[in-house]
Amino acid sequence: MVKREEIVHAANLIKIDLEDHEKYIEQVEKILNYFDILDKASAESEAFVTQEISLDKLRDDKHVPYDEKLILQLKNYKGSFVKAPKMV
Amino acid sequence: MTKIGLEIHCQLTKLESKLFCSCKADYRSFDINTNICPVCIGLPGSLPLLNKMAVEKGTMIALALGCKTPQKIAFFRKNYFYPDLPKNFQITQYNAYGPTSIGNDGKVLIENKEIRIRRIQLEEDPGRLVYEGTSEKTQLTLVDYNRAGTPLVEIVTEPDFETPKQVRLFLNVLADLVENLGVSDPSLEGALRVDGNISIDKGNRVEIKNVGSFRDIEKALHFEITRQQSLAERGIPIPAETRHWDEARKITVSARSKEEEQDYRYFLEADIPWILIESSVIDRLKKNMPESISSKKERYIKKYGIPLQVAEVLSSDKFYSDLFEQAHNEKNAKEIANIITTDLKGFADTKEQREQLKLTPKHLSDLADAIMNNKITRNSGKIALQEIVKTGKHLSEIISSLDLGHVDDESSLSKVIDEVFIEEQEAVSEAKNNSDTINYLVGKVMRKTKGKANPTLTLDIIKKKLDSQ
Amino acid sequence: MLKLQRWYKMNLGITATQYLEQVKNGSLTVEEFTAKTIERINKVEGSLHAYISLNDNAISQAKQIDKKLKAKEKVGACFGMPISIKDNICTKGMKTTCASKVLENFVAPYDATVVSKLKSQDAIITGKTNLDEFAMGISTEFSYFGPSRNPWNTDYVPGGSSGGSAVSVSALECLASLGSDTGGSVRNPASFCSVVGLKPTYGLVSRYGLISYANSIEQVGPIARTVEDTAFILNIISGIDSHDNTSVDNGKIDYTKDLDTGVEGKRIGIISEMTGEGVDKQVASATSKAISKFQDLGAECSEISLDSVKYSVATYYIIATTEAGSNLARYDNIRYGFDFDVEGYEFNAYISKARKNFGPEVTRRMILGSFVPSAGYVGKYFLKALKVRSKIKYQIEQAFKKFDLLIAPTVPILPFKIGEKVDDPLSLYLLDINTIIANLSGIPAISVPYEIAYGLPIGMQLFANSMQEKTLLQAARALEKTTNLPGVPI
Repeated sequence: MVKREEIVHAANLIKIDLEDHEKYIEQVEKILNYFDILDKASAESEAFVTQEISLDKLRDDKHVPYDEKLILQLKNYKGSFVKAPKMV
Repeated sequence: MTKIGLEIHCQLTKLESKLFCSCKADYRSFDINTNICPVCIGLPGSLPLLNKMAVEKGTMIALALGCKTPQKIAFFRKNYFYPDLPKNFQITQYNAYGPTSIGNDGKVLIENKEIRIRRIQLEEDPGRLVYEGTSEKTQLTLVDYNRAGTPLVEIVTEPDFETPKQVRLFLNVLADLVENLGVSDPSLEGALRVDGNISIDKGNRVEIKNVGSFRDIEKALHFEITRQQSLAERGIPIPAETRHWDEARKITVSARSKEEEQDYRYFLEADIPWILIESSVIDRLKKNMPESISSKKERYIKKYGIPLQVAEVLSSDKFYSDLFEQAHNEKNAKEIANIITTDLKGFADTKEQREQLKLTPKHLSDLADAIMNNKITRNSGKIALQEIVKTGKHLSEIISSLDLGHVDDESSLSKVIDEVFIEEQEAVSEAKNNSDTINYLVGKVMRKTKGKANPTLTLDIIKKKLDSQ
Repeated sequence: MLKLQRWYKMNLGITATQYLEQVKNGSLTVEEFTAKTIERINKVEGSLHAYISLNDNAISQAKQIDKKLKAKEKVGACFGMPISIKDNICTKGMKTTCASKVLENFVAPYDATVVSKLKSQDAIITGKTNLDEFAMGISTEFSYFGPSRNPWNTDYVPGGSSGGSAVSVSALECLASLGSDTGGSVRNPASFCSVVGLKPTYGLVSRYGLISYANSIEQVGPIARTVEDTAFILNIISGIDSHDNTSVDNGKIDYTKDLDTGVEGKRIGIISEMTGEGVDKQVASATSKAISKFQDLGAECSEISLDSVKYSVATYYIIATTEAGSNLARYDNIRYGFDFDVEGYEFNAYISKARKNFGPEVTRRMILGSFVPSAGYVGKYFLKALKVRSKIKYQIEQAFKKFDLLIAPTVPILPFKIGEKVDDPLSLYLLDINTIIANLSGIPAISVPYEIAYGLPIGMQLFANSMQEKTLLQAARALEKTTNLPGVPI
């Protein structure tokens, strides 16, 4: 059984503020309990699914300028910087 | 016993594009937020496209540092929130499923001490934060994402360094190495960043971050050793912590301890398949790797008889050694090496000077040949070099316009010598018996001809004249 | 009312293939059809809410294409076909909201590859369709803009997460749609709305411009009224893309060619875990009928047990939520998003407040996705799920050594009422049990409308081996030809 504090900690890591604590914690707990079904699954092979690509298929090293006015389509401050909240 | 380990971040400034997109790798000349695109700014729906050359250059660094390079490399996500991180995760490398970063288990010799390289990995640089003003009213952080996505190679060493001096020597070797490999320009601000960790006498490890320059890392380490030793002497345990280097006060300061340990929840980056690096690719990279600095030095000494001091200066500076390689042939190698390491110094030391330099390898070989064939004196050569550096004109043009040519023909030399004989009658009579005074007379002729007189010919004529008197 | 509906269906209820014929032979202009489509949208959207936003330039784009046709200039393969796009796929200049408050003002500066491919073939985008927020859901009830409704009975869910896409095709509001399928999100609503929905092999269709939810699993998939139409769209959107390193080369196969090959001699495996306990009576009987139809057509059908199916839902949700937690981390409202000024806030406080605007299902999955790969639990959940995923893939590879196709109902139950399951998230997750193995293993799967029971649609699902879309479409076509379903009642 997972502890409630651990669920709250997980939410903090992902910057989710659990205002209505009980509802979400309960639901997440229930789902995590369901996930325990995997304890019964045997998994002998250590290898797992991966895609592979050969080095020569990768992008060539070329400078291709994108639209230099892209910043105007995003949130911007005085047309140049992006505003972020203060760092303590 | 002091143990020091390093974590170095080296930007691959010589690449054309960023690690996962086609924006420029070297962001320094751009206006704020104009070197960005949907990928490096992490717009919804964008996907990373790995830069092939970054993998090759990273692998070359790994090979140069004696590392093992795996057949397949993979990328991972390091998840945390910060305003300079557009996706709120960094795409990096992580050896979760065996060695999957571009290099592992390497080593370098510094002052005969073996420094082990734990691993080398490719990762993206975040953007840059600026704080608006310094007043308390400031409620904002400002972000410039031009740097976000710039390719980095992170080099992690084992704590094998014993002194700050070894660290400095290693960093110099590393800076020379990446420049020599043509992957990075370490003179650029922020191109080579170093964090360190240090412990004394099996005590706790202290991390040192935020060191601005190479010179400062040595100072920071010295300060830390002193600080830790004084604590130890008083029997106070040294806390394991992260400390920041305070540039202004030249001390390390405890960084605010975080409430929780960061949990980065590393997992594979599914948008980037595992990259197969065939052994044929490694062979090609090894073959095309630029010659190492020490190997160049050896070759200059053995093959061309260049003296040790000159060979050291020449081999450890890529700009100079490139010039040398392009300019020399068997005959004039030693002369060119000399010109570069003595005369050119002062004209081509800084980046700006080198960018504006009008000198070409051909100039150098012309100059060396002219000196060796006695067309101009070494002195005149120095003057000519100055002019070449500024104007880039052909040597022959400069020789005639500045009248640097040897005064070679007997009749004009004879005239000058006659003048000197009239001015220095006392010396002339002394010279008949005293060879030193002959040299004095030669010197006078040289001065009169502004160093252009052919010294051998001058001596000959003076002797003849003296004999005939 | 009925007369008007019949008129609409006579004129709009054609397939994409029939549309192309009529435009090419001049019996229909693009402007006419586009205008009728827009009229239809205006008429039914009040009851159905398939769309989040509409393309105001549709008519003028249609006129342009008619002009080109008249001047005998070259026109793209779509000939002005009206196609809707799920609102988690980027369309330049039009909003792409993912049905979330967090992106309610977001306008992408570029088209997704699949969208530019359609546009370059002269398709007309009718609008962006509704979905469960960030594609997380099975019923389209988790949209910030309100649910979409099933056109077969508007009290019922249309399925999800590509509910709006399936509704728009089913209710004649467009000829085809692009949805996205991560755990069944194209096939499930296709089944609930009685249309065809295909999840291609992972990598067959570019994901560039698809706003990521679970990037090792999801694919853009076509939704259309017939198998032939679906194959037509697949032709246009598939193929390797230099913007997406996970896309693969399919040799530019023509999926519409040899569609009527049939299933003679094909071996079809009936997945026993999906056709036994827990399946609604009507769904079970429909499945038996479909199987015997296949046998009549010359296929050999026999049972196969894939016991890893029982772990597939847990495996999927562990991996998908981990990827989702990371993919959605960028939504901190700093670079784009909605109106909420940063001034005065400290960093962590601002971000947490901004992210309160995620809906309940997204919030749940973020927490799960942070928990299952976290220190202390990563071995038990995330790493274990990766290993079980390998096992599932292996079992499926083995199955395709004995069979050419696999069959199971798309959803074990009939469509359910809006509001019925929304407070029991786990019960919704379990509805994915028939579709998820295709996503985890990367193989292609298709849902074909098979029956209507109590006025509610039942879809039949076929799976084929990796990159075997041709085999899959041929079998789907064969099954489709045995059906004779009524038109949509609205």
